[in-house]
Amino acid sequence: MTAAKSGEVWVWAEQRKGRLMTVSLELLGKGSELCKSIGSELAAVLITDKAEGLVKDLIAHGANRVYVIEDVRLGLYQSDAYTTVMGKLIEARKPEILLIGGTSIGRDFAPRIAARVHTGLVANCVDLHIEEINGKSQLVLVVPGFGGKMMVSMICKTRPQMATVKPGLLTAHQANPNAKGDIVKVEAEIKDDDLRARTIEILEERSAERPVEEADIVVAGGWGMRSAGGFKLIQDLANALGAAIGGTRPAVDEGWIPKECMIGHSGKTVSPKLFISLGASGAVHYTTGFTKSKVVFSIDKNPSAPIFDVSDIGIVGDVCEIISCLVKELTVVEN
Amino acid sequence: MTLNIVVCIKQVPDPKHFSEITMDPVKHTIRREGIPSVINPCDRHALEEGLRIREKFTGKLVVISMGPTQALEALQEALAIGADEAILLCDKAFAGSDTLVTSYVLGAAIGKIGAFDLVLCGNETVDGGTGHVGAQLAELLGIPHVQASNIKFIDERSLTVKMPIEHGYLDISLKLPAVISVTEQINRYRLPTVWAIVEVAGREIKIWDCEDLEVDTSKVGSDGSPTEVTGIFEHKFKRRVEFLRGSPEEMAKQAVVKLRQLGGDMK
Amino acid sequence: MDFSFKREQEILRRTVREFAENEIAPRVDYFDEPGEFPFETAKKMADLGLIGMTVPKEYGGSAMGHLARMIATEELARVYTAWGSHHRGFEIIPYLISTYGSDQQKEKYLRKLCKGELFSQLAITEQIGGSDPLGIQTTAKLERDEYVINGRKVFATRGEISDLIGVTAKTGEKSISTFLMEKGFPGFKAGRRERLISTMSRTMPINELIFDNCRVPRENMVGVEGKGLGPVLGAVGAIGRTGGAALCLGTSIGAFEDVLKYAKERVVAGRALSSIESIRFRLGDMAMRIDIGKLLNYKTGWLLDQRKHPREITKETASCKLYNSELAVDVILKAIEIFGGYGTSADFPIIRRMKSALDAIAAAGSNNIMRLMIANATVGESVA
Repeated sequence: MTAAKSGEVWVWAEQRKGRLMTVSLELLGKGSELCKSIGSELAAVLITDKAEGLVKDLIAHGANRVYVIEDVRLGLYQSDAYTTVMGKLIEARKPEILLIGGTSIGRDFAPRIAARVHTGLVANCVDLHIEEINGKSQLVLVVPGFGGKMMVSMICKTRPQMATVKPGLLTAHQANPNAKGDIVKVEAEIKDDDLRARTIEILEERSAERPVEEADIVVAGGWGMRSAGGFKLIQDLANALGAAIGGTRPAVDEGWIPKECMIGHSGKTVSPKLFISLGASGAVHYTTGFTKSKVVFSIDKNPSAPIFDVSDIGIVGDVCEIISCLVKELTVVEN
Repeated sequence: MTLNIVVCIKQVPDPKHFSEITMDPVKHTIRREGIPSVINPCDRHALEEGLRIREKFTGKLVVISMGPTQALEALQEALAIGADEAILLCDKAFAGSDTLVTSYVLGAAIGKIGAFDLVLCGNETVDGGTGHVGAQLAELLGIPHVQASNIKFIDERSLTVKMPIEHGYLDISLKLPAVISVTEQINRYRLPTVWAIVEVAGREIKIWDCEDLEVDTSKVGSDGSPTEVTGIFEHKFKRRVEFLRGSPEEMAKQAVVKLRQLGGDMK
Repeated sequence: MDFSFKREQEILRRTVREFAENEIAPRVDYFDEPGEFPFETAKKMADLGLIGMTVPKEYGGSAMGHLARMIATEELARVYTAWGSHHRGFEIIPYLISTYGSDQQKEKYLRKLCKGELFSQLAITEQIGGSDPLGIQTTAKLERDEYVINGRKVFATRGEISDLIGVTAKTGEKSISTFLMEKGFPGFKAGRRERLISTMSRTMPINELIFDNCRVPRENMVGVEGKGLGPVLGAVGAIGRTGGAALCLGTSIGAFEDVLKYAKERVVAGRALSSIESIRFRLGDMAMRIDIGKLLNYKTGWLLDQRKHPREITKETASCKLYNSELAVDVILKAIEIFGGYGTSADFPIIRRMKSALDAIAAAGSNNIMRLMIANATVGESVA
């Protein structure tokens, strides 16, 4: 694919409290791929109060260039000021593509930028690739519609082509400590007017017991857990994942979980990003409670258990043993 | 000191019936007939918040919606819930508009309504789910925008909001006029009473088209939209289990990697 | 012919559905258990404006009409039949007073009924004299300014929690009068609970009512002495029968939705139940019959809104009640069959619907009386 040298592919490097969000690194991975397809360079845009340490990480993960806007007022996300900064940079450098991680802040920032520079933005893409359309290299974006029942492919007629992608969908490349890239320092140039909505502070809290139907990850146990002790293991796994706990009717009847945690036709219906079923054979009055989950991962000792008919990933084995291994693996990854 | 509020709502197919939506295999368009429509659930929270703010400060609450004539029902429902006035923005030329164009049309309507202090909308629709309109509308109106799961007024012009983020929130302070996109956690919304449903039954709902709004027809619809749909396909969802193999430790390792890849959002 | 609902009727339907799903659905297990009557839910229904839908606005009602009332009953029953049944029941006395009551009675009672400050019910049935309203044994004797009432009523739904009760009594050999009985009147008592299949639950108290020299002021008689049957039959025709039809239709719809979902998800020998032709036929039949039930109900509601007096449309009110009560039992039985082993299990509570549906069959007139009414309206006199 040899087009004339295209504008750059940009990734917004989101940082919070001096740490880069993993989704930005994931997008750098995808960005590198896209650059190869259209023959251009990959740049990260970093807006922060303290750039030290972050720039190297961005280059190590694939950025050929990092635009650094460092200003003491910009440590926390300030929607007006960030938009002004990004908008001016886009006018100056005219990138071909701008990718933004679909974190809660990214999903707030991206549309504002798109409106500021009058360009198209496609949100929550599950696939991105380049296609030749009418002799032009277009970024084609695929998004799910109507709760996932439909897939819609879209393009941006304008430039930069903007897209957001939710965290966890893509994979970051392995960090290469020897990678080289250049650093472009950019003046913030913001006025008081650009701080009309002022972020005062960021407050992070470990979520209190969230009801099972609101959690992003649900860990559910059934009769195969065998005892309250078995359910203690489920609690360990849930803690390691920041997940809510659920279970089947037998688990409720045995007193291992309260009634509010029961999942199924007579209990709660949940649609988390990840549903983990442990030691439940998969009777339909249970499975009907979680059919809309994004990913279902099940563990049971019986290879022909019907739970595996409604799962994406399955492990056959001793449930308690496998949970212990999972907990160990997760705590290692954390550190 | 009164506060004039505009609430933007959208009529969407009832999410409880999403599994019944099908695709026309020939025309490649969505078939929505027979699927009941509702006010986008998040917009109900926006309307509720607007009513509570009106109760606190007095003022007028106008509900607007861009959509086909079918959306008159959603606007009538909004009147029954408590809005003072409702306006439908409807024109054949609007068909195929993306979020930027929608924001442009809503902005034109707000301009025609006149003086306002606060615009409220839901932060996400169940069908599009982009969450763009609030931010883009604010940009086009030249005022600040925030997402909020909680709004606290310090006086009639200054407020602080909590914007929910992963594992916490941002504390943001701002002054009106502004656009606030509310999240579902912000409140529990009221239902219209039967008396109210009857009372608003005959009330007029204005309909504004491109001419009324003085918008350029070339700037709206699919032609005016910077994004374009190039294809739609049905996603037949059937899970195919992949069994992991090996020792328990090996399988656990594989599971963690796999779940990451599938976007399972593990830490 | 325009078969579409008015916008406000669609808004009403959505509103009641949302109310039912938020306030009733999460608590069905609680409602099933024995215990105190759940007044909070009844009060919330009143706060929403669901009581007094045929009462004029000047007396605190919404006057939204009969079709709207039936839609509300249907939507409540779809989630939990007993609440549809109570909605039907709560609407009878307000209609009776609005249509046949004196100005004094309207002033005294209507606003409070519509606000949910007073709950009401109609009690006609006795041990002897249910289907035959003239066969009742309760008597009422005028003594100066009061009527003294003696007798017993049976199967009085919500008897023990009602504040205002419409009661029929004999004021002469062939003379029936109707009275508005306040629970505090001396000599009135709600007796023991009937033991019916649905009355195990807290939501369905059905009682015997006892009148032991019960004194009722003469201004609490509805209409004229000896002409009490007209108002009561009117109320039963307009509200009792159509409300029964609506709650049975809602029950059928709820049961159908349950079994349809189950059939689509349940996999047997590698395929979903719903892909098996015999099951598809069953489901298709249910859907068609439910559509028929809807047409009967909605037309009858429309006729009442067109100001047809219930006695002019006896065939319609009897038909919708007869058809939908039989349909509800049929749909539930067929659903239980499709649910297989789960048919009577607590995990898929289709059996819960059956309990209420069975009781609904008798209320507001047994089905054989319905058949007589339809025959009288269509077949007429024999020539031979």
